Amino acid sequence: MSPALEVELAGLRLRNPTILASGILGSSYGLIKRVEEAGAGAITTKTITREPKEGYSNPVFVDLGFGYLNAMGLPNPGITAFKMELRRAAENIRIPVIASIGGRDEGEFMEVAEHALDAGCSAIELNLSCPHVGGYGLEIGSDIQLACNIIRSIRSISSRPVFAKISAYYARPDIVSRYIGSGADGVTAINTIRAAAISVESMTPILSNIFGGLSGPCIRPIAVAAIYEIRRELPDVPIIGVGGVDGWRAALELILAGANAVGVGSAIARKDLEIFREIIEGLRDFLASRGFKSIKELVGYAQRL
Amino acid sequence: MSYITGVIERLRDLTKNIKEYEIILEDRVEPEPGQFAMLWIPRVGEIPLSFADAEDNIVKFIVARVGRVTGYMHERLMAGDRVFIRGPLGRGFTWAPSGRALLVAGGYGLAPLYFLAKNLRIAGCSVKALLGFKSDDDIFYREEFARLGEVEISVEHGSSGYHGTVLDLFRSVIRGRSYDVVYVCGKEELNLAVMRECLRAGLPVEASFERRIKCGAGICGSCSIEPLGLRVCRDGPILDGRMIAPMLEADED
Repeated sequence: MSPALEVELAGLRLRNPTILASGILGSSYGLIKRVEEAGAGAITTKTITREPKEGYSNPVFVDLGFGYLNAMGLPNPGITAFKMELRRAAENIRIPVIASIGGRDEGEFMEVAEHALDAGCSAIELNLSCPHVGGYGLEIGSDIQLACNIIRSIRSISSRPVFAKISAYYARPDIVSRYIGSGADGVTAINTIRAAAISVESMTPILSNIFGGLSGPCIRPIAVAAIYEIRRELPDVPIIGVGGVDGWRAALELILAGANAVGVGSAIARKDLEIFREIIEGLRDFLASRGFKSIKELVGYAQRL
Repeated sequence: MSYITGVIERLRDLTKNIKEYEIILEDRVEPEPGQFAMLWIPRVGEIPLSFADAEDNIVKFIVARVGRVTGYMHERLMAGDRVFIRGPLGRGFTWAPSGRALLVAGGYGLAPLYFLAKNLRIAGCSVKALLGFKSDDDIFYREEFARLGEVEISVEHGSSGYHGTVLDLFRSVIRGRSYDVVYVCGKEELNLAVMRECLRAGLPVEASFERRIKCGAGICGSCSIEPLGLRVCRDGPILDGRMIAPMLEADED
């Protein structure tokens, strides 16, 4: 019998441990549908805010070779317009749809989450970590008490799973414990890391926003350390590992560190949507060749004594 | 993929709103007709442009003045100025090495079709181009296309060629003679209308689509054609009629 890739994540059942990471393609029903068809186990929407956001002007993306830099600026149609896409996805998509929620304050998080829940999302992910949009993301997540208050409020209106997406700067077991104590079911670790790039030829910054978020293989060791440490101290907390997943080996590395599932993001720039199948088949072959029956056996396996 | 540095070798006015830029790149690029590049002007912006021609390390872009970045290009860029490109990006036209091709262009949509026509001619295809413009003053690239095959011009206001839209011209041309394949690039209504007619007639058709392109890498989703979820920067910009068919049916309801 071929090894099982199904995983359970705070009550969500995933056909395999791959999840489309937030910020990538999850802005419309058509794209969400294509990612489902590509094989993903779940999808996370782009971060949705109360009002529509235009995002930054170009350039917004740089392929550095060893990783990627982006500063999209949280472009999204706003919750009112996105609600229709989300409702359509909730009705027609068979894999879990996790709504990524953004906000400048508790009120905005609450309002957006309420609409997302009403539209039928499977779970909520709170963006406490986007590193390049003033007032949002990391600026919220760097105030741990504020983040706890937001989590508590969201918990009070959601019977569905709530994940906190955290920055590498705050990916510490003591902070994650406080989030769990405030009502989060699990964490998504890590977001991109604040970074910038300058063109030597033009002698100017490349991104129009100057600062962006670094992703790709170069941040994977940071994600591995964060996941390893959280898993070591908190053996039962559901963790979605994100950071540099560019193939099955990278996905497995995060799982061995302690992730229950893994986010796939900017690697799509190089491998396109085929990356989901590549990871799924690679994991299955690895499990079979090593005699494991289920991917669940490997969560945190690298920490066995 | 980082930027390739280029220097503007030559620029010329094609009409009062459209310029042609010939750029010498420090590295060779090998785009397929229909592919595009992101052209970055530091501190100004970055825009997608279809290759209008490419040979070794020399590329040509046809740029209509439509917004902030193209406005800057028209007013400020001069021969000798440095620009930066990343590409080639996206999926180009597919083309058979023989047969009769009909090209349908709306205005500056002729840019990728000119590059395609050159390649079709080299491959031994016969090419007929229908070029649509608003008025006599907007006509450009007629002679360039004439060197590659047959050309018919349409203008909505004026005295040159066919009087009417290029869609009307296409309808009259397609009735008279048979073609093996149709390529179209223009406003979305033109693309969709030509695609619909070709699909009905069982004729292979490809169109070049336009959207606001941001990442250019297929990850941000800004340029998705909904509800199909087709990314212009990655699945396109050239899309086959069969891929668009579900949208055409929905349109007719």
